[in-house]
Amino acid sequence: MVDLLAGLLPPFVWRLIVIVVQIVAIVLPLLIAVAYLTYAERKVIGAMQLRKGPNTVGPLGLLQPMADGLKLFVKETVLPTNSNPVIFIGAPMLTFFLALVAWAVIPFDQGMVLADINVGILYIFAISSMGVYGIVMAGWASNSKYAFLGGLRSAAQMVSYEVSIGFVLISVLLTVGSLNLSDVVLAQKKMWFIIPHLPMFFIFLISGLAETNRSPFDLPEAEAELVAGYNVEYSAMAFALFFLGEYANMLLMGAMTSILFLGGWLPLFDIAPFNMIPGPLWLFLKICFVMFIFLWVRATFPRYRYDQLMRLGWKVFLPFSLIWLVLTASVLTAFGWLPNQG
Amino acid sequence: MSFIDRTARAFFLYELFQGLAVTLRYFFKPPVTINYPYEKGVLSPRFRGEHALRRYANGEERCIACKLCEAVCPAQAITIEPEPRADGSRRARRYDLDMTKCIFCGFCQEACPVDAIVEGPNFEYATETRAELMYNKSKLLANGDRWEVELAYRIAADAPYR
Amino acid sequence: MPKLTIDGREIEVEAGTTIIQAADQLGIEIPRFCYHERLAIAGNCRMCLVEVEKMPKPVASCAQPVGEGMVVKTNTAVVRKARQGVMEFLLINHPLDCPICDQGGECDLQDQAMAYGSDRGRCQEGKRAVPDKDYGPLVQTMMTRCIQCTRCIRFISEVAGTPVLGGLGRGEHLEIGRYVNAAVSSELSGNLIDLCPVGALTNKPASYTYRAWELKKTESIDAMDGLGASIRVDTRGNEVIRVLPRVNEDVNEEWLSDRSRFAVDGLKRQRLDRPYVRKDGKLQPASWAEAFAAIAARIKGLDGSKIAAIAGDQADAEAMVALKDLMALLGSPNLDCRQDGAKLDPAVRASYLFNSTAAGIEEADALLLIGTNPRKESPVLNARIRKRWSKGGFKVARIGHKSDLTYKYEHLGASATVLKDIADGKHPFFEVLKAAAKPALIIGQGALAADDGAAILGLARKLADAAGLVKDGWNGFNVLHTAAARVGGLDLGFVPGTGGRDTAAIVDGAAKGDISVVFLLGADEIDVKGLGSAFVVYQGSHGDAGAHRADVVLPGAAYTEKNATYVNTEGRAQQTKLAVFPPGEAKEDWRIIRALSETLGKLLPYDSLKAVRERLTKVSPVFAAIGEVTAAPWGAAFGTDGTPSDRSLVSGIDNFYMTDPISRASKTMAECTAAFGGGCNHKKTGTHG
Repeated sequence: MVDLLAGLLPPFVWRLIVIVVQIVAIVLPLLIAVAYLTYAERKVIGAMQLRKGPNTVGPLGLLQPMADGLKLFVKETVLPTNSNPVIFIGAPMLTFFLALVAWAVIPFDQGMVLADINVGILYIFAISSMGVYGIVMAGWASNSKYAFLGGLRSAAQMVSYEVSIGFVLISVLLTVGSLNLSDVVLAQKKMWFIIPHLPMFFIFLISGLAETNRSPFDLPEAEAELVAGYNVEYSAMAFALFFLGEYANMLLMGAMTSILFLGGWLPLFDIAPFNMIPGPLWLFLKICFVMFIFLWVRATFPRYRYDQLMRLGWKVFLPFSLIWLVLTASVLTAFGWLPNQG
Repeated sequence: MSFIDRTARAFFLYELFQGLAVTLRYFFKPPVTINYPYEKGVLSPRFRGEHALRRYANGEERCIACKLCEAVCPAQAITIEPEPRADGSRRARRYDLDMTKCIFCGFCQEACPVDAIVEGPNFEYATETRAELMYNKSKLLANGDRWEVELAYRIAADAPYR
Repeated sequence: MPKLTIDGREIEVEAGTTIIQAADQLGIEIPRFCYHERLAIAGNCRMCLVEVEKMPKPVASCAQPVGEGMVVKTNTAVVRKARQGVMEFLLINHPLDCPICDQGGECDLQDQAMAYGSDRGRCQEGKRAVPDKDYGPLVQTMMTRCIQCTRCIRFISEVAGTPVLGGLGRGEHLEIGRYVNAAVSSELSGNLIDLCPVGALTNKPASYTYRAWELKKTESIDAMDGLGASIRVDTRGNEVIRVLPRVNEDVNEEWLSDRSRFAVDGLKRQRLDRPYVRKDGKLQPASWAEAFAAIAARIKGLDGSKIAAIAGDQADAEAMVALKDLMALLGSPNLDCRQDGAKLDPAVRASYLFNSTAAGIEEADALLLIGTNPRKESPVLNARIRKRWSKGGFKVARIGHKSDLTYKYEHLGASATVLKDIADGKHPFFEVLKAAAKPALIIGQGALAADDGAAILGLARKLADAAGLVKDGWNGFNVLHTAAARVGGLDLGFVPGTGGRDTAAIVDGAAKGDISVVFLLGADEIDVKGLGSAFVVYQGSHGDAGAHRADVVLPGAAYTEKNATYVNTEGRAQQTKLAVFPPGEAKEDWRIIRALSETLGKLLPYDSLKAVRERLTKVSPVFAAIGEVTAAPWGAAFGTDGTPSDRSLVSGIDNFYMTDPISRASKTMAECTAAFGGGCNHKKTGTHG
């Protein structure tokens, strides 16, 4: 049967079909996860503020994200008079696209990865650095001073925190000795990196908040002063794409944190019943945990002032992660723990 | 010593964790909000909601078009045109209330010498069009007829404090 | 000249002055209900109580003459307590219906109750109720509100001279009312409303339609009769609600005639709010451009002598000067502002003015009325004559119809031959005039508006010279006009030019076909049906007789809707103020004429009100002195020497309530006509005998 089908089509078509199916298998759950992340956000923050959160659409309000999506879908996309329409429409598409492609290298289990490339970390780093383009383009193309200021802030902020994220990654990959994300996970079999690299975990987490423009670093879309920052002029599906992109980026950051520090798909302890739970579910639980921290932080802390944000990035995180990098390298060299030597 | 203390607190994110602990504690507390369309909070008898024009028990409308509410209205939301009715009494030919202008200060009901215009307990009168918020006399009288029991109770409940 | 001290301030006043008058002079306000400076002192409301040193009790300041060295205190605890007591008594029976009372907001009792009233009453008994009286279609009564100040009784007896009101019953049962149940038929009955300090007497036509505080007040001038009383036009939105008199001691004191006050509902009815052009025998709505084009098409190439213009009784000076200039540009000498055909001489200003001035009547000591009924033609002026007569030493005689003028006069007959007798010195009244220090005569339009009018004017002039009516500082020769526009028209020369036709000749010429275009500036009282086949352009505010005949109708503004100048019968130029905007597409009259002149290709050289008024002052300096009377020189002869016919000199006004387009459109005035009877020359009214 399979042979029959294989005979019908040339092999490269088959490979294509397989890849498409794999992509769909990643993207679909991802989008559903994004939808329910918004729901979870409202529920969690609601609970922390002694509110109920959405509870009307569907049982426990579970259909709320669908209702929101539908609303945005049927609304009219407004093009500002003096905007650059191509860039204006292209910006949310780029943001959304970038948020999705990064998932290509995320390993969900041993060998369960769409593109098991040996420069996974570098790839992720490159893609997330490009994320700033979407926002800058949106800010510029809207031709609105609020959007423009939001775009500027976002660019500066993301560039700043990318630097410390970079040093955190280098510390981790020094310890692993590979840029392949599966290797990173496998290197944590004995001990999750959160234990030796605990300060780096926090720096990575906080930088992740800044990188995804989350509270308390959501200055690019500060309502009070910039009304909504770079997406002030966006409506309907264009806005929805930005929204989806942002939340997909959050999930990506959660996945990265899990992979780099929390052992990826590895169980908490390699004993029953923990090791009976399949790897992807472990990853999912870990992402959930990181996401909860993200929401928890949002419910707790007020927004940073912009100069404080910059000071934190350049004057605290950068030197600290640099020192930690040197320390890591020194320790690894001194004790001869450097992996893959020779 | 205090420097060390401060630095340690900063490095170990002491305050941040404290804050997180507070919100986490609240996370497990029951919500205080009520499930609005199904549950409703208690309203004071002085609550100032949607307006209504009341009638006397014999069905005669109370409003005598004295225009005191129109004069006192700070938002100038009320427009009245008085006319002598066939029986010689003074009545409002027109009593228009622009609910989009109204600021619900309650001056109109304070000014009314005959308790005709009152702000009732109803706050659920959202409309689909702006035009529907331009209340006329018949709409206000219909409101009065609909809410009369409650309106009379509220006035009686507040009477001892006046 | 006793000197007294009020609240620590010294003042010296004439003997006989009362304390309240002295306090008024000092600007110290004493509350009052019954006291009114133009009425007799009653002293019955007790609100004006003040404390006077060495007097055992508070005294009513309105009835207490000042004494030398008096020390008066108006603001002590005793005074306040006394006034609070008075207020409490007044409020025992006064209903708490302020919210539905039309006086609410401008009520003396309400204001004083704010100062002296208690916030609760001690009286548990029921209030007394008084049945309402029927005072006719103008005055609404709500007698339960009455506080028996008797201002109305005193006004109707003293000022109006129709003593029909009085107090009936005593004590608790005292009611103000008529002895017989009938309407108050005085031409000044509206003033009762102003005088009433509470809401017992209110404005019936405007009843329950306004509140005092929501009205916009515009100070203006009345144009319903020749006197030009000072008025205040109260408006809400673009609607005139009521008209009230303003104090103007020189003209109307503080009274206003019923027509001027109540005809304002006519401003809302039968208005011309857009231009009309007659097509196929019917007036069809048209645009301004179409209307002007229709006129231009008709006038084009027409000789000036075939065009004529007649100004009506309410035409303002600005419109008349614009029309006069336009007619001059068109080469037409045919224009007239005397639509009743009165034989007034425009060349001599003194011949058509009320030279003694209205206030001057109070100085006269003998008066001859010729063909006039001042009670109907100018009730406020008539009240002045009555005021003079009430002081005594004032002889009045009348040639004309016999009717009640509210004061006694000697009826000398109806015919103009009597006038000739007096002028010739053969009549005993000639001696009366000659003997008087300040003799005066008033000649009405009824005497002048006839073929022998010029002769009668000549006789009057002869009489004035012979009997010494004109002396140093006194000119007793008075012409009483009934039209607000008349003196202005004569002053600016809206009269036939050289070889021009007057009103009668214009109508005659139009009937015969000699005149092909007639421009009527609000002229409705001419024989519009007799205009033959002439092309009639009517410009005015109301769809009255003129508009019905017209071929083109141009909607103009009424006197409340424009800034316009009128010259009253004394020769006093006064300006109205725009209180509301003209309805629909109607415009200020001079602007219409200015716009028409452009279409006709004869552009008038002014395009702002200022420029028109500059032009007016150039035509006559009268228009530069607003509100003032410049005495006209007496000297040049006027009138003719002929013998007048033996006709009866009746008043020019037949129905007081309907004299002009506005009052003819007024529902209230129609009700008055029905209630009080129309013709006053021939039919007796309710107040006769």
